[in-house]
Amino acid sequence: MANLRIDRIRAAAAADLQAATTSAEAETVRVKYLGRQGEITQLLRSLASLPAAERPEVGRQANELKVEIDRLVGEKLALTRAAERRRELEAERPDLTLPGRRPPLGALHPLTRVDDEIVEIFIGLGFAVAEGPEVESEYNNFEALNIPRDHPARDMQDTFYLSEDTLLRTHTSPVQIRTMQAQRPPVRVICPGKVYRRDADITHSPMFHQVEGLAVDRDISMGDLKGTLELFAREMFGARSRIRFRPSFFPFTEPSAEVDVLCFLCGGGGCRVCKQSGWLEILGSGMVHPQVLRNVGYDPEEVTGWAFGMGVERVAMLKYGVDDIRLFFENDLRFLHQFA
Amino acid sequence: MKLSWRWILEFLQTDLTPPQAADRLVNGGVEVGSFERLAPGVEGVVVGEVEAVERDLGEYRGHHLRLVRVSTGRERFSVLCGAPNCVAGVRAAFAPPRATLPGGRRIEVATIRGVRSQGMLCSEKDLGIGEEHEGGILLVGEEAPLGADLLAHLGLDDWVLEVEITPNRPDCLSIVGVGRELAALTGGKFQYPTIAVAEGEGAAHALARVRIDDPDLCPRYAARVIAGVRVGPSPAWMAARLRAVGLRPISNVVDVTNYVLWELGHPLHAFDYDTVADHTIVVRRARRGERLTTLDGQDRALGESMLVIADPERAIGIGGVMGGANTEVTGATTRVLLEAAYFKPDSIRRTSRDLGLKTDAAYRFERGADIEGLRDAIDRAAQLIAEVAGGVVARGVIDVYPAPRRRPVVRLRMSRIQRVIGASPPVEEVARILEGLGLLVRREPGALQVEVPAFRRDIAIEEDLVEEVIRVWGYDRIPSTLPGGTLIPARRPRTLEQAAAARRALVAAGLDEVITYAFEDPARAAALGLASSDDSLLRLLNPLSQDASALKSDLMPALLRVIATNVRRQQPNVRVFEIGKHYARVRGEPAESRWLALALTGARANPAWYAPREPADGFDAKGLAEHVLAVLGLRDVAVDADPGAHPYFEPGRWGRLVVGGTAVAAFGEIALPAREVFDIPAPVFGATIPLDVVVAIAVEPPRFVALPRHPSVQRDVAFVIPQSLPAAEVEQVIRSAGGALLRSVTLFDLYAGEGVGPGTRSLAWRLTFRADDRTLTDAEVNDAYARVIEDVRRRFGVEVRGT
Repeated sequence: MANLRIDRIRAAAAADLQAATTSAEAETVRVKYLGRQGEITQLLRSLASLPAAERPEVGRQANELKVEIDRLVGEKLALTRAAERRRELEAERPDLTLPGRRPPLGALHPLTRVDDEIVEIFIGLGFAVAEGPEVESEYNNFEALNIPRDHPARDMQDTFYLSEDTLLRTHTSPVQIRTMQAQRPPVRVICPGKVYRRDADITHSPMFHQVEGLAVDRDISMGDLKGTLELFAREMFGARSRIRFRPSFFPFTEPSAEVDVLCFLCGGGGCRVCKQSGWLEILGSGMVHPQVLRNVGYDPEEVTGWAFGMGVERVAMLKYGVDDIRLFFENDLRFLHQFA
Repeated sequence: MKLSWRWILEFLQTDLTPPQAADRLVNGGVEVGSFERLAPGVEGVVVGEVEAVERDLGEYRGHHLRLVRVSTGRERFSVLCGAPNCVAGVRAAFAPPRATLPGGRRIEVATIRGVRSQGMLCSEKDLGIGEEHEGGILLVGEEAPLGADLLAHLGLDDWVLEVEITPNRPDCLSIVGVGRELAALTGGKFQYPTIAVAEGEGAAHALARVRIDDPDLCPRYAARVIAGVRVGPSPAWMAARLRAVGLRPISNVVDVTNYVLWELGHPLHAFDYDTVADHTIVVRRARRGERLTTLDGQDRALGESMLVIADPERAIGIGGVMGGANTEVTGATTRVLLEAAYFKPDSIRRTSRDLGLKTDAAYRFERGADIEGLRDAIDRAAQLIAEVAGGVVARGVIDVYPAPRRRPVVRLRMSRIQRVIGASPPVEEVARILEGLGLLVRREPGALQVEVPAFRRDIAIEEDLVEEVIRVWGYDRIPSTLPGGTLIPARRPRTLEQAAAARRALVAAGLDEVITYAFEDPARAAALGLASSDDSLLRLLNPLSQDASALKSDLMPALLRVIATNVRRQQPNVRVFEIGKHYARVRGEPAESRWLALALTGARANPAWYAPREPADGFDAKGLAEHVLAVLGLRDVAVDADPGAHPYFEPGRWGRLVVGGTAVAAFGEIALPAREVFDIPAPVFGATIPLDVVVAIAVEPPRFVALPRHPSVQRDVAFVIPQSLPAAEVEQVIRSAGGALLRSVTLFDLYAGEGVGPGTRSLAWRLTFRADDRTLTDAEVNDAYARVIEDVRRRFGVEVRGT
């Protein structure tokens, strides 16, 4: 009797599951057999009414059937759910070619980027950052730097004046003077900032940016200057960068050197940008003139020092291939966004 | 300065090619702008003779065309020519077929107006060696051999070297100077010019007199007299040389002074001896009100600090700058008074600047001429005048030199080279280098005593000699080392950290950084209400233009200009900021303060399928200012919504952000008149932050507070309040009514329109209640919530929405 009933339930459940095509139908099958009022549940409940001798065997078979149906329903559910999820994804397919929701992103000015890059390298080399006013005294800008009045060296820097003895600094070198006046050696500073010269064309701007460096210590040589700038060049322009020192003249350094970097566009073979020379003039440098050291109260027999300076616009123009310096100050968004 | 390579080779023995020489100069500190053939592109042009005019073709386009027969000695050619000086018998520059001219122009047999022309007679301009063209073809004189290569014949098969000489090296402003430099740099042999004046009748001392009244400005003045000269054109070789270096030949006597100037670097002047009163030169300062017409025809007012060359009656020249027209050498001149003097550099510089008169002579004197070498210069000039203009050089030189300059002797320690450079050549090489530069060296243990001739007036201290040695030895041999010494903590100043943080925050918020000029147009500043009539504006004495004649007192006008530029260029959505300085005169002194300014116009976001489409407004500006202040560590920022008038913000549409009574930002809508100054069509919103003020506000470092251990309860409430009632006032009442349990109040909705009465709006706040020590009961929350509603009702007489 009982065996017959079990076989009948097994067959019916199999048929029901066979017929179920959705997860909801599969769920109904589960309830029909395994639910509170389900047929297996009732069967198990009815065990008590069986003769004691039949009970264990029928109970075992009923339990087996319960496990079997549970497994089959589970399999069916997995199958139908997967199929339903597939249909759902298929039906609500988003257009993944639509642009993503991007937070807005502005652009740092290219001069800021280059300025930061230069300063960062020297901070890494142990240089402190110093700043100073742009409206300077004639003394700090010229006299203290060994550029007397009525000296042709002043032709090198055409100056904006605010009064007889106040001017817009023509280089950041006055910051070096201020720094040395304020502290005893050793000194190691980097001075970024705006500077002004009375000049305007596609490579000269009446306002531009400089970064200068200064190191003064008991025993510091031009060799150290060269080594430091070589390191800088490799960081700034790439590991294969090379520099060359050329004699030059600055009133505040002696000896003075113009520093060229191997043209990173042609690798030194000669191109339009380096005017076929293979080299790009990038900065001026030299050993701090003994008179300058004396002007700030240092003893040139006791300490030596070197200084260098470069134009940020020039570096940026070379680095990004910008051919007109005025673009930096026009601030056309289409220009600025090229550096975002 | 242009130099001729052939000319240099007169004094330098070298195997170097011109490009090699240029390279050595560059590495020795002489910048070479270019090194090019004097007549590039000219090939196959020869001396030809116009034998006869074959046909006259009449006027054509303003030229009288002729077909002429040209002979090169071996061949004859029929050539069309329209030059006025193309007449039978002349010898001229002739480009036969297959010759080339500058610019890759190749001469071929051509048919012009039905006539075959076999080649072309050339002007200076055709050959690229001068400007002359309308005057006709380049005539070369009858002595020129027929068929000879024209460039070789004229000495134009030469290279021209354009050098840039730094202000410390006036000695290199000459052929001889660069030759000496090249010899020192390359080990070539340098031969100073042989100067031999054949003196004739008459003693200079009997013919002329020189008196220096102001030796402080003119320490030495030398003169010679040359009689019986015939003023005329210079010989071809001299004219060609002058042209090669960019000088225009004038007449033989004047050309000699220029020639010697270029060759030896010392300026000279030639007076017409017979126009100098009493044949007496007086060197003195100009008198009050004195005037002189200079050689360029300008009548000039002289200042009392200027040095003039005078005769007993009048000024006849501005010393070291330019001669006077009254004593000019002319075609009628037969006797020449030649001057070679030394003038003080700073005086020449002032005079030249004050007169606005820059000359080759002044350029050299202001850098420092060779007070010792001027005798060579005057002798060389006398020799050449006698050679090219005939004449007899009177015996002797009148040389007034009251206090001869003593040569400085500079000690150079070998140890100093080592210390400054980090390396040093051996002492013997050091000595050889210095001697090669023309310095006199005496050896001492461990050092050299170096006597410096006057032509190297830039060498005054030991470091100068160090540079000379290393320059010649080779900067490429300086070792590459890294500084040792003390470690110093390297930190950025807080100002820089602050600027960097603000920049990052704004760029991440979608703003673009701009950098604008520090200059401002005072008129525009005034139009914006920025510069009142007071003199707080810092003005430049020598601006590039009127619209950039002051320093900006505010960053905003430049940002408006950036917006205007971009809007005009079809970019209507602009969101920019700048970190820069305001410049002003404060209590008479120039002052600079660092500011941040931002400005927005157009849509809040760039167009995108997901982006809101509203235009930006004042709350964008306010929010960005609050954002920056938050990034900079400022909390508890209050708003002053009614701060009065502002130069460029619209009244009633701007406010201040305040921390502890200190204004830390202003924000608002740019006033219409200001916008109109820049012609910006859409509204603009902006904010400014005084960074120096902000950086000075002490920011407490964060302190940890234990995380809540008990849940919070949220309740929302909406009030319908009049438009005129500030939300902040309501919020203030909510906070105080809520008491200690009310932990946060957030305005999360704002609505006006249908459903709320006209002139009112609905504001909805989310209130969060929480206690630190227990879970709140409904009764506690309800109590506090009811208190909030009650207090707001009573205080403002407004109703809760939807009740």
